[in-house]
Amino acid sequence: MYLNIFLYGILLMTFSMVVSKRITALINSFGLQSFFLFLFTLCLAINQHHVELYVVAALLFFLKVILIPRFLRNIVSRIKVNENLGLFLNPLLSLISALGLIYLAYLFTRRIMPVDSFEGCSLIISLSVTLIGMFIMIFRQKALTQIIGLLVMENGLFLAAASVSGGMPFFVEIAIFFDVFVCVIILGVFVYKINTLFTHIDVDKLTELKG
Amino acid sequence: MRILSVLLQVIIAVVIAPLVSGVIRKIKNNMRMRKGPGIVQPYFNLSKLFYKDEVVSRNTSWIFKITPYIVLSSTIAACFLVPFFTLGNSLPRVGDFLVLIFVFGIARFFLALAGLDAASAFGGMGSSREMFISALVEPVAILSAIVVSLNVGSTSLEAISGNLGGLTVSSVIATIALFTVLIAETSRIPVDNQETHLELTMIHEAMVLEYSGRSLAMIELASHIKQIIFFAIVANVIFPLGGCGIFMSFAFFLAKLLIISVIVAFIEISMAKMRLFRAVDFLGFSFVLSVMSLVAKTIGI
Repeated sequence: MYLNIFLYGILLMTFSMVVSKRITALINSFGLQSFFLFLFTLCLAINQHHVELYVVAALLFFLKVILIPRFLRNIVSRIKVNENLGLFLNPLLSLISALGLIYLAYLFTRRIMPVDSFEGCSLIISLSVTLIGMFIMIFRQKALTQIIGLLVMENGLFLAAASVSGGMPFFVEIAIFFDVFVCVIILGVFVYKINTLFTHIDVDKLTELKG
Repeated sequence: MRILSVLLQVIIAVVIAPLVSGVIRKIKNNMRMRKGPGIVQPYFNLSKLFYKDEVVSRNTSWIFKITPYIVLSSTIAACFLVPFFTLGNSLPRVGDFLVLIFVFGIARFFLALAGLDAASAFGGMGSSREMFISALVEPVAILSAIVVSLNVGSTSLEAISGNLGGLTVSSVIATIALFTVLIAETSRIPVDNQETHLELTMIHEAMVLEYSGRSLAMIELASHIKQIIFFAIVANVIFPLGGCGIFMSFAFFLAKLLIISVIVAFIEISMAKMRLFRAVDFLGFSFVLSVMSLVAKTIGI
């Protein structure tokens, strides 16, 4: 029951990321999504009495709920870029495409496991979160949103691993966490440099020559 | 006996319907630190309009004349399907939630035709806008009605309103979607504005601009009744009926109406009216809410 509600919260936050038009709203929704993911992992750990899952949940909370959103907010306030995300698709069309992606995930999952079981449901949701993360990466113009899209995809993959197979091996999990964290820091610095060089972070206009 | 009690309930609903609008207006004025008219002002407005002469353009057809009667009678007919404050007080096996939505559709269809009938610029614009909005509202209404019915296992409003202890995530989200439908259907602020008669902003008011006197009174009464029906449905999904005597349930009904009126008034004073094409975003958001409630239903929460 609780697991279902947290799963649902993750999906809801993904949708709010698809419709949001401002960078801070996007970051806040990402933080909330990670928080729901943390609650989900914690519930799973309590259900299965898995010590490793507790550690993973704590790492998740520390990195993705606190550290990464704070770092991203810090970058946003430092580069003083305007808040508009610059959408290729307006929110309504994005939402409809996101619904289509969920349907795609449903069609895929239906082939490999029964969809009315808990595992089936969580696989559908994690696949659709991954796909929507990719969607956010593709259809938003600012470089920062591509970092967030990457993080959303990672959340989806983590959810798939945690719910279907009870988590990846412990060391793999830890390695992925640190990979993601370092990746976010490097990309953040990169965005900062792009901003100082080009005075904007519009990935659409990076091909223009500057002289 | 049942027929009598149903009639009594419908009469009570029709009688207190303008009061709800008056209360909302009063709450809004108080929140804005204004005095405003008393809560019985809508009754005075209606009676004034009933005794006034009517002006009908020479260029209109019969549609313009019968539309107020159709609108009022279809809205009152919708009252018969809704259990307002006790169970067993609506006509059995006559219609369900979906029928209710389409009964309102009849009224809207004729209003839009009447707006076009006089061939004034505003009327046509209002009709086109109203149809544009309702094309976006209707899927939301039907989808969330279906989710609420799936929770109960029946589409009849009687069963939906008597579903004690059925408060799930899906029904809560479907109710939020229904609430946005309520805002759009009663032409409240993020979508439409009831107070203004400015040309550029109005939607519903533009359609009925040609009407005067008794016809206008009928159309206004119909919109008051429509509002109380939506309030009752939204209230009964979240706080189901049943389990207490008739006077207590009437008191509960008034309390529920008051709560929803306060929420609506608060939304009205704290938001600005959206542009017409921003309203698309708002209604798209409510469509997604209704889809999300369907997803929640399939997950089983």
